Amino acid sequence: MGKKKSAALVVGAGISGIRAALDLAETGCGVTLIERSGHTGGILSQLDYQFPSNHCGMCKMLPVVDRDAGSQFCLRKGVVHENIEILLATELISLEGEAGNFTATLSQNPGPVDPGRCIGCGRCVEVCPVEKPDQFNAGLSLQKAIYLPVPHAIPNTYMIDLSVCTQCNECGKICPTGAISLLEEKRKDFRILVVDDELIVRDSIKLWLADEGFSVDMADSGPKALELLSKGAYHLMLLDIKMPGMDGIKVLKKARKDFPELCVILMTAYATIETAVEAMKIGALDYLVKPFEPEAMIPRVIKLYQELELKNQLKIEVGAVILCGGTSYFDPGSGKNTFGYGINPNVLTSLEFERLLSGTGPQQDLNSSSNQRYFIRPSDGKPIKKVAWLQCVGSRNLQTEADFCSSVCCMHAIKEALLAKEKFCAPTGEEIEAAIFYSDMRTFGKSFQQYKDQAETDHGVRFERGLVHSLFPDKLSKDIITRWVDIQGKSHEETFDLAILSVGQRPALKTAELSKMLGISVNKWGFCETEPHSLTKTNKPGIFIGGSFGGLKDIADSNISAGAAALEASRTIHISDKGPTIIPKKLPLTRNILRELPRIQVVICTCSETFVKADDLSDIIEHLESYPEVEKVAVLDRVCTSLGLDELIEITDKNQPNRILIGACMPCVYSWKPREIGHKLRLDPALIEVIDIYSRVMDLPDNSAHETRIIMENSLKMGIARLRRIDPDPVKGVKIRQKALIVGGGIAGVTAALAIADHGFQVDLVEQKEKLGGNLNWLLRTVEGFATRPLLDEIMAKVVKHPCIITHNSSRIVSSHGQVGNFTSIIEDMDAGVQTIKHGVTILATGGTEAPVTSYNYGSSKYIITQKELEQKLAGNSSDDAVDPNRMETIIMIQCVGSREKPRNYCSRICCQASLKHALLLKDNNPAINIFIFYRDIMTYGFAEQYYTRARKAGIVFIPYDIDNKPQVKVCDDGVSVFAFEPIVGRQVKITADLLVLAGGIIPTLGQELASIFGISLDENQFFKEAESKFRPLDSIKEGVFGCGLSLGPRSIPESIASAKAAAQRALRILSHEEMPSGKITAKIHQSLCVLCEKCITACPYGARLLDHDLGKILINPIMCQGCGTCATVCPSSASFLAGYQDQQMFDIIDAAMEGIFN
Amino acid sequence: MESAIKQKPAFLPDPLAPVCKMLQACIQCGTCTASCVNSFAMDQTPRRLWRMVIMGQKDEVFRSKTFALCSSCYYCTLRCPRGLPLTEAMAALKQIAAKEKIASCKSGTLFYTSFLESVRCHGRVSEMEFMTHYFIRMKNPVAPFKYTSLGMRLLSKGKIAIPLTKKKKGPGSLKALFRKVAELEQLS
Repeated sequence: MGKKKSAALVVGAGISGIRAALDLAETGCGVTLIERSGHTGGILSQLDYQFPSNHCGMCKMLPVVDRDAGSQFCLRKGVVHENIEILLATELISLEGEAGNFTATLSQNPGPVDPGRCIGCGRCVEVCPVEKPDQFNAGLSLQKAIYLPVPHAIPNTYMIDLSVCTQCNECGKICPTGAISLLEEKRKDFRILVVDDELIVRDSIKLWLADEGFSVDMADSGPKALELLSKGAYHLMLLDIKMPGMDGIKVLKKARKDFPELCVILMTAYATIETAVEAMKIGALDYLVKPFEPEAMIPRVIKLYQELELKNQLKIEVGAVILCGGTSYFDPGSGKNTFGYGINPNVLTSLEFERLLSGTGPQQDLNSSSNQRYFIRPSDGKPIKKVAWLQCVGSRNLQTEADFCSSVCCMHAIKEALLAKEKFCAPTGEEIEAAIFYSDMRTFGKSFQQYKDQAETDHGVRFERGLVHSLFPDKLSKDIITRWVDIQGKSHEETFDLAILSVGQRPALKTAELSKMLGISVNKWGFCETEPHSLTKTNKPGIFIGGSFGGLKDIADSNISAGAAALEASRTIHISDKGPTIIPKKLPLTRNILRELPRIQVVICTCSETFVKADDLSDIIEHLESYPEVEKVAVLDRVCTSLGLDELIEITDKNQPNRILIGACMPCVYSWKPREIGHKLRLDPALIEVIDIYSRVMDLPDNSAHETRIIMENSLKMGIARLRRIDPDPVKGVKIRQKALIVGGGIAGVTAALAIADHGFQVDLVEQKEKLGGNLNWLLRTVEGFATRPLLDEIMAKVVKHPCIITHNSSRIVSSHGQVGNFTSIIEDMDAGVQTIKHGVTILATGGTEAPVTSYNYGSSKYIITQKELEQKLAGNSSDDAVDPNRMETIIMIQCVGSREKPRNYCSRICCQASLKHALLLKDNNPAINIFIFYRDIMTYGFAEQYYTRARKAGIVFIPYDIDNKPQVKVCDDGVSVFAFEPIVGRQVKITADLLVLAGGIIPTLGQELASIFGISLDENQFFKEAESKFRPLDSIKEGVFGCGLSLGPRSIPESIASAKAAAQRALRILSHEEMPSGKITAKIHQSLCVLCEKCITACPYGARLLDHDLGKILINPIMCQGCGTCATVCPSSASFLAGYQDQQMFDIIDAAMEGIFN
Repeated sequence: MESAIKQKPAFLPDPLAPVCKMLQACIQCGTCTASCVNSFAMDQTPRRLWRMVIMGQKDEVFRSKTFALCSSCYYCTLRCPRGLPLTEAMAALKQIAAKEKIASCKSGTLFYTSFLESVRCHGRVSEMEFMTHYFIRMKNPVAPFKYTSLGMRLLSKGKIAIPLTKKKKGPGSLKALFRKVAELEQLS
């Protein structure tokens, strides 16, 4: 497969970027994934545990069908997919063109270490003399100037922090593969012009720079400088501001105009700093204040030189751009810093605490030892017993200009508290005490509420409703003293060992520059702004946003919005005729070797003779060649280079082996060469094995030739043992019916239908009601004030006339069976009768509805209504039934009616926003109206917080109530009276009102019956149960069935739309291919041994097996099978086995590993 | 104890309305109460007082001495996460109490007027004169006795100056300033 033009550019390789890139790549789109830092994974590379499982789970994002197209190892270690090109240390610097046909200019800054040569041996770290705070561990530990950006990436290339590097080149000298070049020898070519009217200044600068090896010229005046500039190409100009005649500013202006590439550093005396700052706006890069020492100037020049010299630009053509830049954190040390962050070492941020908990964190030695499970304070080593979390640091705070909720910190704090309790104990053996200080506990997501309840009741995490304004250290012990007032007004003082600040989010670094360059708008807090009703569309067509770049999302929501952005990008690419095309998956053409005996070509790469000399290999070669199936052993130098690869192809072309074993260094194993080689040789890539023979040799002392030989030889012999017995059967494909069935015609269903149909695939849209539109038929507007009617009209117009969409109104699903790619469903249409539909995927968009209300005397008075009824009554114009705000004096709203308590123990997420929307509307129409809202926690997550603030400012009174002490409602003739306890005033209050509005929450309409028809499961609240709540939020465990919209859980209109698009993209991964290859490693059956006990069917976690009664056989769907091997372990007669891991093969491998060690 | 929330009829100007406006964005986080240096002496915590203002419980608000005890240290204003002008709100309540001549606030109002009268005349507080003024205006012969022990202690430490028989004339007086302020207030 040749190199493709990229169809899409994904900027940022955090969790959203990876999701968007994988979602596109799996449909056959070529993706370029760029990342500014030196590793993929974004913030999640620093966060080891995710709730609710308190594990990682990132690997669940890996491709499930056509697994072999990508890597199948821990996703935190790296992303590999045949359609994704990853460029690290790369930034987007300009974008030209229009949607479908962009030209992106990327700037790559790979640094002085060559990733192709670095083998990660770490010898450079031992010799590096410079230490700096470790960014990965949030500055809690130290690392060298040459460092690994993350400890776990594969391959892991070292990087040099040029801002602290002293250029001593010790690392360059010791590097065994010559991967480090600090570029000193090339400094001659870097030309610098020094412009100053004083000879002594010129001379000394020239001397200093010449000592460093640069070429320096001098000019004594402005005109002279310009003359020299026009004659020869200079890279850098050091320019004095105050000069007689033509001053520095004039020279700068002229130079910027004529030589835009030239870098200028100004030299200025103290008096003219302001001028220098002004000059930087014109285009100077930096300024130096005279007089300066060489130590002040040289590092800056060198850093600039490194950046210029190492940066290379490349242009790529893409159809669409997805921005997944993530967010950054609020710096609690900025501003008033009332918590003493950075001053008191026992005040940490949530990220720092997460690093402390981590097995790769600054306390890793401590964490890994099993006998001591204390958690010690980094500042003084005191074992920690009590920890406090302070919420809303830098969020929901008008003083730090953050009138938004950061959405994730509440759950993050609970998770950290539980992790601390689970992993550590106090020295006395007691549990660690954890207290969380909060103002609203925002448990608005799926399963959040249960998690919080468990933390509180089962694990004893204390939740204190109260804001701690400042922290004081105890003078002696440096413990943290907190003061707060509880809801009753009682003051408390308590001492903690450690205080954790749940810092809020801020726009990602350089968001302003990027958005300005791209011409996309940002909101008032600097986050990228999206279009109404969309979480992904920017104001520029063809540029989309995934994840929290558009503001404040957790992992699941980031994944969903990234999937939606991928869909939008895919649609843009698909409908543009100019743009790059999508290449559908084809099974590789391979030579038939079924009838051939194994002939293994062994290749040993010497890796520039770093570890062994080629001559020393003769023993090994001789030994290996004694194996009958080993054709020949070849020794190559650096097989990873294109030269080495050509040599390899040449050898194998001549010998025509049917299996190839390559022994090389670790980076080579993961760099995806087998596919390239396989394509060239028409050999199944699965028959080419690359093994790491050097990692274990690296740590051996120098004089251990014998051990080196044994290790290398055994590694190779294990490879031979595996290849000898490998099943040469080529992978099977499954034909895909490129058609989708979508159940439910609400906004999610129609959005998904349109998304798939726009890609040219047939869609059957089944709706049980006579009209499409679902809840949007009665919803009028969103809390942002956007009308929903135009949205519905616009999308309906498209659906109705779309040639690929067949709608079945007033229809229901009778049955459905089959597996991914081949489903058969029967639908019963009220008009057309029964129809059979064959389709490849199913999307369930069955929606939800307002939960029936039974409490608060609902139904006994016309003055008690639900929020849904209020929305409808506000629309009614003249009827008696309508609510006229001008005839109302007082309205009461009660939140969480039936929600967040058993049996519906989940937050419905949107009721708070709905109530605020109505309250603000009523208040707008009649400012004199009194509105009281009874609430438990106001769940205005993200930017919806501003409506909460607005409501408060508008004079709406919010009264918190306790679940054990709910408001009491009494019905009167002309209204209702509500009796409730006002905890702040501390007494019972009675409010009489003209209207009581109850927020009833959302229940799904999916139902057990439909779920079992499609073979999916429901969660405890009857919502669609996803394969994994964070990393696969839209898939069911049964591949090919996806959920979206309210069927997944309560969500707003934009969130429903995003989930529908993301689900459509998940479906398109399958629909885009006529045939889907299975994974190489899948379960198979010796049918003759099978007794049809069906144990494997129940054991299979992926539902890939079924019993065919007609054939009397167990059948395995090879693309659903994930090769986990569970079936092989439960099979009583060893009939079920895993191809690629057969018993005899494994025994051979073990034998090979042990050989030479015991005898 | 139960109290009915009165729905204020829109046409009657509520004296608390301007204060209510200042406080509406309050989220009842309690930072003000936790920060208040005088809260130990207050019958209602600041947060509760704001709540009462918002809920229109005028009688309860003015029955409380909380606002009179505010020493304008501005801690609460500085710290309020909503950035509300809480010290100003306290001052506004003092002014309303004085303007509306609310009986329950008489003592506090008189205290402040006496204090300011002394400042107006001398440009600083003359403690003895201020206390005398206050006791006379209180029209309560028993009142001074309550302060006797405190007064003695202050006197012994030289915290209370014995008034000179001849008042110094001249730059100390702030009468002109007070006049101008009163004029401006009338204009606005």
